[in-house]
Amino acid sequence: MSRVIERRRRSAGEWVQFAAGAVLVAVMFYPTVWMVLSGFKSNREIFRTPFALPSVWRWENFLKAWDVGGLGQLYFNSLLVTFVAVTLCVGFATAAAFAFSRLEFPGRRLCYRVLLIGLLLPPPTVAIPLFTELKALGLLNTPWALILPGAAWSLSLTVFLMRAYFNSVRPDMEEAARIDGANVWQIFWRVSVPMVWPAMLTMIVLNTINIWNELLFALLFIVDEDKRTLPVGLIRFYGYHSTDYSLVFAALTITTVPVLLFYFLLQKQVIAGLTATAMD
Amino acid sequence: MSGREDRTAPVSTGAANVLFVVPAMLLFAAFVLYPMVSAFYYAFTRWDGFTTPVWVGLANFQRAFADSVHLMSYVHVVLYILGTLVFEVSFGLAVAVLLNSDRKGFALMRGFFFSPVVLSMSAAGVLWAFVLDYRSGLLNAVLRALGAGDLAQPWLSQPGTALIAIIIVSGWKYAGFYMVIFFAALRRIPRNIYEAAVLDGAGPFTQFFSITLPLLRSNFLVAVLIAITGGFAGFDLFFTMTNGGPFSATEVPATWIMKQAFDQNQLSYGIALTVILMVVVIVVSLIYLRFSERLSVARY
Repeated sequence: MSRVIERRRRSAGEWVQFAAGAVLVAVMFYPTVWMVLSGFKSNREIFRTPFALPSVWRWENFLKAWDVGGLGQLYFNSLLVTFVAVTLCVGFATAAAFAFSRLEFPGRRLCYRVLLIGLLLPPPTVAIPLFTELKALGLLNTPWALILPGAAWSLSLTVFLMRAYFNSVRPDMEEAARIDGANVWQIFWRVSVPMVWPAMLTMIVLNTINIWNELLFALLFIVDEDKRTLPVGLIRFYGYHSTDYSLVFAALTITTVPVLLFYFLLQKQVIAGLTATAMD
Repeated sequence: MSGREDRTAPVSTGAANVLFVVPAMLLFAAFVLYPMVSAFYYAFTRWDGFTTPVWVGLANFQRAFADSVHLMSYVHVVLYILGTLVFEVSFGLAVAVLLNSDRKGFALMRGFFFSPVVLSMSAAGVLWAFVLDYRSGLLNAVLRALGAGDLAQPWLSQPGTALIAIIIVSGWKYAGFYMVIFFAALRRIPRNIYEAAVLDGAGPFTQFFSITLPLLRSNFLVAVLIAITGGFAGFDLFFTMTNGGPFSATEVPATWIMKQAFDQNQLSYGIALTVILMVVVIVVSLIYLRFSERLSVARY
């Protein structure tokens, strides 16, 4: 709408639109600001002057939260699980999407249909049988209990989106490579992967966020405190220290601010990806 | 999800190509399909996870349909889903329209509005547990500062307000997701349609209801599907904020299932409940897909 009047001054209506948007966004984002500021305060300040800036910036709250909560270990566990699971998921899904879009083989349609079941199925519906399966496999309480199910449960959406992306690009490059005598593997690795790399990057970002934030599996499949991931660790921390407000706010800040920074750095990636492939 | 099904000729044919899907299919079969199928066996047994399962026929299901907390959990989750349609999907659409501008500052606002989507549910839940806290919470502090201290409530610890509080937190968390989807769709509407409408004297509201909304119909239908399937499975936020309480007022299927299976050591009863949840989600989605397909067909 507004593109029509690109170079003109804002009309009154546009100022109203801007003001309404700004107020709304400020209200939505305020709890996050309040959380960070409260992390610097003492408990008494949080209660007495909830809106004020901290009288003293108590950086020691963060050191204490980091120590008491064992946040370093939690970060390490989350990074490990997320990195391996995302690599598996995006790698396997890209190969599968390539096959579903570009190749022909017996069972192609059936495999794709079966994979799509995962789009409708919410994880809680199989969490308990999955728990017994992992127990039987001896994987319970190891990082693999989060990596393998985490990757498996991200496959459906990733394959679906990657296939849509493949289908939106004409296979001219692959055709040319084939005529030049490349075999299927070479076509995939040398032509298709570089071609769909932007979409893969988007899938990496999306799955990283999803697996990083995963709670249910992490809650059920990991028992030992030192093997937990951040979302569960945070809830436990809150459970132990729920009356020590400043400590919990400090821990919350330490766990959420890096995620927000990650998002703001790769914002174009996340949003462009969602809009380009998810919905059309 | 409209199909770009018009595949061009395959680059290669032959059975060996199956190797490209084998890793994905194996992983999927082992950790999605197998547990799903085994659930249908365990659901008909009595089993605590240690001893051998004993076949008990439909006993778990009879119990499930007589379990009043279980039945109420579906009422709660349906209310929650209706709430998400208002506070996530519709609100997201409204904000997408509001923030649809190329002027300076709007991209930044969209970025901030989306930001809660990337946070974990547990972080969002703990943060909002503090916002909604009776004594030192932000919400009650705002109410008191505005001179409306009488309205201050223990939002999460009384049955009357806990569910609506969770719905609003869920809206805070996910409205940005739907905003982005609708925003992308808005950008694809050719602007000359609006120019023509303005020439015909259409105001913003007429433009919204006679151009924007009809053209976003397919996106809206997909958004509703995502809200429904995601809503039935809702666990994280409920677990973090109330874990079903107070007095089961926010008990949803997922929280109740986990309690039965792991706190009560009734694995097979929990699994039977998951089978019910699975069937409900799939049936509702299929009915919805059929229904929305018919809507689209009737339209075009």
